[in-house]
Amino acid sequence: MARNRQTSEEYTRPARRIVVGCILVGLVAILLFWRIDSPRAERFRAQIVDRVVPPMDWALLPVTKVVGMVEDFQSYSRIYEQNQELRRELQQMKAWKEAALQLEQENAKLLDLNKVRLDPKLTFITGVVLADAGGPFRKSVLLNIGGRDGIRDGWATTDGLGLVGRISGVGDTSSRVILLTDSNSRVPVTIQPSGQRAILAGDNAKLPPLDFLETREQVRPGDRVVSSGDGGMLPAGLLVGQVVLGADRRMRVRLAADYERLEFLRVLRSAPQAAIDDPGGLVPPMREPQTVALPETPADG
Amino acid sequence: MVDPLTLRRWSFRALFAALALLVIFVRILPYHVGEDNWPAPDLLVLLTFAWVLRRPDYAPVWLIALTGLFADVVFVQPLGLWTLLTVLGADFLRRRHQATAGQPFPIEWLTVSLVLLAMHLGQTVILGILLVPQPPVGATGLRLVISVLAYPLVVAATAFGLGIRPASPAERDGEMRA
Repeated sequence: MARNRQTSEEYTRPARRIVVGCILVGLVAILLFWRIDSPRAERFRAQIVDRVVPPMDWALLPVTKVVGMVEDFQSYSRIYEQNQELRRELQQMKAWKEAALQLEQENAKLLDLNKVRLDPKLTFITGVVLADAGGPFRKSVLLNIGGRDGIRDGWATTDGLGLVGRISGVGDTSSRVILLTDSNSRVPVTIQPSGQRAILAGDNAKLPPLDFLETREQVRPGDRVVSSGDGGMLPAGLLVGQVVLGADRRMRVRLAADYERLEFLRVLRSAPQAAIDDPGGLVPPMREPQTVALPETPADG
Repeated sequence: MVDPLTLRRWSFRALFAALALLVIFVRILPYHVGEDNWPAPDLLVLLTFAWVLRRPDYAPVWLIALTGLFADVVFVQPLGLWTLLTVLGADFLRRRHQATAGQPFPIEWLTVSLVLLAMHLGQTVILGILLVPQPPVGATGLRLVISVLAYPLVVAATAFGLGIRPASPAERDGEMRA
């Protein structure tokens, strides 16, 4: 028996080694391909995810719902306190609503007086969060809308209240949203009321820090943070959150979007801003006299 | 006519693939998305190692590579790197298993921990060489520790829940003959 075993190993071992070697070489090739031609590899990844994950939503959604229901059921135990809490909050909300209505009317009046043109209205597409398709250190979610619905890379995503992230990777029927907390996320923001510009740089923590603050003294915890629209990637004026002072004495942002319950996300269609590339007709640097349209030019057709 | 041994082997391979898919499926459930709680243990790799150390023929190398690649694609990881390290680690354990079958569990645990550590170091080095931005060392280390701590649980589930135990000598002889 021992002899038999030895001979069989003699035959199987080299064959095994060849198979393992081939697989290893193949994996190294895939890794190098990913590193060298990253956009193509990521498109490839988006295509695979697009094929695999959306057909699973019949299973993904019910399981998520059941887990959520179990958790909600646990919260019944403190339903009374919750009720009281909600009543108090509702009272505060009513006060705020009143204030907001008054401000809105006042604002409308002032805008009318001033003839201010604000940013064009944003339209949006709403999608359902299919999967939390992040690795251990990536914060991203997968939506069930994609290139078929006209989604493009870079569009902003909100949960109705605050900015959640931006689209990064679009498949045909799915797209990936990279969250603000991901360590690759960088979003230009404005801090109100001081008007300071900063970059919200995700670092995998729950409260992303503010980078490149010019004068820290003017920023206080509690200030509102909105997107600034710098760089033309995201629309300006989207609510991001509130400044808080982190445990490490850095200015961080408590996000307005409810990251605990990301179910439906709005993807904002943002048209690229019109670029101003010519100096206009009044003060031209060098101008040939014939470029002004003359009235006697014959118009055909 | 399929002989029972082959049937058994293939059904366990299918079970391995199904478990791997289940692990990935649970991992991508959109549940508590933004929370930064403890990193989850790398169940896929732990499962692979537990199976390879018990029944290497149930977790063939191509199956390990396939499941690993799928995980790399779905979790936004560098394509192929973690799979490469998993295949290397599993192959090392497989060869060691043939040399010293029936080692006590603490030694197996220690070996697996060292292999996991080597895999993480290898990942850091390779990503460094390829100039890829990396997650902070603390987070990776925490994940490694949690994975190591979770290994006995995975082994218990594999051995007692699924009945994947090292082949007895009689079984081995039967396989040799077949």
